[in-house]
Amino acid sequence: MCWLVALRSSIIIAFLLWATALSGHEMTPAYPVIKLSHVKDVVKVEMSLFNSREEIKYYQIELFDLNWTNIPFSTTYRIIKVGYKEHKAFDVYIRKYDLPEAVYLCTTSKVKKSLVSSTLISSRICSRLDGKPA
Amino acid sequence: MKYFIVVLSLCAFPALANVEITGSVEAKCVIQTNKSGVYGNPIASKLSTTPADGGVLPIVRYDVSIADAYTANITHPTAFSSSPTLSDTVAWTGSTAVTQTSVAGMSAYNAAKTVVGNSTIFNLTLAGSTWFSTASSAIYGSAKPLPGGTYTAVVLASCIAK
Repeated sequence: MCWLVALRSSIIIAFLLWATALSGHEMTPAYPVIKLSHVKDVVKVEMSLFNSREEIKYYQIELFDLNWTNIPFSTTYRIIKVGYKEHKAFDVYIRKYDLPEAVYLCTTSKVKKSLVSSTLISSRICSRLDGKPA
Repeated sequence: MKYFIVVLSLCAFPALANVEITGSVEAKCVIQTNKSGVYGNPIASKLSTTPADGGVLPIVRYDVSIADAYTANITHPTAFSSSPTLSDTVAWTGSTAVTQTSVAGMSAYNAAKTVVGNSTIFNLTLAGSTWFSTASSAIYGSAKPLPGGTYTAVVLASCIAK
């Protein structure tokens, strides 16, 4: 009986170690709320980013229309530094004039040059500003 | 005084309060990088991530909390992000496939995927985790040997809200 408990415990510990070894990129919310900003004719979107990719330190913020064409926007830094296992909140400001066209608000990880011949993985997560699908 | 304290303690009712715990589940996508790929060099003019060519396939895991809220768009490379100077063209090929799933129904993603150019699009119709691997191969023009050095290419894994 004891060996069964020990085996089960070691499996759980192994799974936890495996799970924590993963590294990820997370951005929320998927469907952000458009809020009024302190600037006339400019709206604000509040976003949150979590970085658990140890090899990644910087993320780029981008705004696109439905055809993936860039839309002008303003934020404190377009490339933000997010440490390992760090949450970062950021605001994106969009002119009301551009809002009808703005669809995808994305963050993309910036990868570093590698010292071995490899494929690097750049992750991108995009939220939708035009609301949930009907 | 003693009696007074005893009487007071009898009068004191235990303080009871219901503490609510609230929570919500919202649409969320997490891209986990399980394994970065490595290019194998089976012949002088070729780099490939296929294990048969001595390479390692890059693997990404998508975790989605709500069904049918996201698409996974995975783009295999069509250029090196860093390499020695190349004087000839490089022919690129690549593909992405589902390799592991947390829900049995996700195995249908492979049949339902759409390929547009060098991007493969999967409709994440079920909540849970899906593992994708991307094969990438580069063959140097006219079967010339690739110059010595380090070659790096980038796989773009996107999770896009529907």
